[in-house]
Amino acid sequence: MLKILNLQAGYGNLKVLKNVSMHVARGEIVTIIGANGAGKTTLLSTIAGLLKATAGEIRFEDRNIAALAAQKIPALGCVLVPEGRQIFADLSVEENLILGGHVLRRNGRRELARQLDHQYALFPILNERRHQFAGTLSGGEQQMLAMGRALMSKPSLIMMDEPSTGLAPLIVQDIFNVIVRMRDEGKTVLLVEQNAKAALQVADRGYVLETGKVVLQGRARELLEDVEVKRAYLGKDYGDFYDGRE
Amino acid sequence: MTAENEANVCIPEERGHLVLEHLQSTLNRAYRNVAFHRQRLDARQIDPADIQSLDDVPRLPFLTRKHLSENYPYDLFAVPLRDIVRIHTAPGTASNPTVSGYTRQDIVIWETMVATALENAGVGPEDILQISLDPGLANWGRDYKSGAEALGASVIPNTLLSIEKQLMVMRDYRPTVLVTTPSYARQVAMKIERDTLPLDDFRLKTLILTGEPADRDLRRFLDQALNVQCWQHYGLSEIPGPALAYECGNHSCLHVNDEHFFPEIIDPQSGASLPAGESGELVLTTLTTRAYPLIRFRTGDRARIVTEPCSCDCRLARIEWLTERTDRLVCIRGVKVHQQQVMTAVENALGFKPQDSCLFESRYEDKTFLEIWIAVEDASFSDEIKMLELRMKTIRDRIQESTGVPVIVRLKERATVAAGPPATEP
Repeated sequence: MLKILNLQAGYGNLKVLKNVSMHVARGEIVTIIGANGAGKTTLLSTIAGLLKATAGEIRFEDRNIAALAAQKIPALGCVLVPEGRQIFADLSVEENLILGGHVLRRNGRRELARQLDHQYALFPILNERRHQFAGTLSGGEQQMLAMGRALMSKPSLIMMDEPSTGLAPLIVQDIFNVIVRMRDEGKTVLLVEQNAKAALQVADRGYVLETGKVVLQGRARELLEDVEVKRAYLGKDYGDFYDGRE
Repeated sequence: MTAENEANVCIPEERGHLVLEHLQSTLNRAYRNVAFHRQRLDARQIDPADIQSLDDVPRLPFLTRKHLSENYPYDLFAVPLRDIVRIHTAPGTASNPTVSGYTRQDIVIWETMVATALENAGVGPEDILQISLDPGLANWGRDYKSGAEALGASVIPNTLLSIEKQLMVMRDYRPTVLVTTPSYARQVAMKIERDTLPLDDFRLKTLILTGEPADRDLRRFLDQALNVQCWQHYGLSEIPGPALAYECGNHSCLHVNDEHFFPEIIDPQSGASLPAGESGELVLTTLTTRAYPLIRFRTGDRARIVTEPCSCDCRLARIEWLTERTDRLVCIRGVKVHQQQVMTAVENALGFKPQDSCLFESRYEDKTFLEIWIAVEDASFSDEIKMLELRMKTIRDRIQESTGVPVIVRLKERATVAAGPPATEP
């Protein structure tokens, strides 16, 4: 579904992504883990068209979208739930959701209503708060609204940037349960997370990004058991690499 | 659709992308964690990010057995020692043995690869598998044991036994599968024939041949003499792993496990990549190995890439493993021996460097040996037979210990040594 080949991107002279190749197959949850500054958000922003690739290919459904404008990409079925949710605080929950479904305009009101009902079924709390200003929602509810808004356009690939940021552990669990449910309903998910453990527990496969390069990939359950990943997750590094050798 | 890289390995495009992903992350890890790899790439002004397709692989420098020896014991490890759960020592071909490490995941991968290769040969839980390999291939014995156990087969692990005892086990324990080298399989078959042992006493049906390529005539002989079906496996003692390529039911070529290894064929003289179908030296790059990555390792084995798809469902890259070698190593019962390695041992035992010597594979009473001829000279000669015998025994013991294969040492006239080994019977 998504195939990335030798992707390079950055900000001005700062090269953040240095030759990243990866893929996401239909129906998978793929997670990208890595430390702060590894290039995870840059990678998602580049796929979403918010940042222009300086080299490489991004093939979504066999079409190179690397040069496409950001506003054209969601209509192809590839949406981004950005870090920090970025919902419209002064609009109601329902208005936020309707904005997410603007690409469905052509399909008529009935389709829009059907999608609204679907999001309310997936996130019952949003139904309860449908007329409330989005700015009054809790962090977890805002994250659900951001996810629901992205799902309104019926994407085939949903990219999520740090959905667990700033949320209590119980809420994080709810969010990840929804991600699994999305996959079970046929969506494909590309998940960027600092909470490596939580992400690997729900993902099918994972990539470890380090200073803009993929240094490891594999099945999520294998990465979860990987001592190197565990060490990186615990914040240890290779400073003592030669320990025990001399 | 097939994408051909410069080395002309035919890997379907979809899997080609996966191979490239693994190759890039292997390079990134090797560059980050192994000073040897980093310095070599830096010296050639190659950034791992420059490798953007399988076509770029020939830009990377080769790794040879000499490098493995020079970085003895741990300098090619790409993970900290605390992540290593197993350390293997192979005889090596230079002054130092080859030491390779495995993470827990590496071991799981090898176990799966060996199990897959055995499963392809029809090995399953109802089989009893006997392993008989020389001490020089002891590591492979352990890998076969793990792979077969993963399939649920009953395993008789590798044990150093006389051929009479091996045959006793083969008759009384009723193994259905024998894992061994073509040389030893030949020895077993000849012994059964010579002693007119009834084949009905044996339940053997599968013969896994590893360590060295068996030619068509030998396979036909083994098929008939032992009433078995032969399956050839290819491996490297350096990684080490015995079944990185294996035969499918067509028995025509070997399927390379290209999920874990990227194969290339090069001209052994120039190092240039050769077009598909041409015979040359097999070069392998590990794609998933964590502890001991090999980047463009020159195997010294002669092979050719087979481009025609196999009629079995498997779409892994295929090679034909040819009997000659591209280097000066002598392969004895699956163990690779270098002239220099042997001569160093001879020199140490004698206390001086003999003026002339040669080594070759020989066969006595069906058993294969590493035979060494040393030219007689004043310094090595003694009028005391006992003294001479002791010297020869010391040399034999030392080489046997370092290579793990049976050795014969003979003193010969200089002209005989210079003329080289006698022609061997086919």
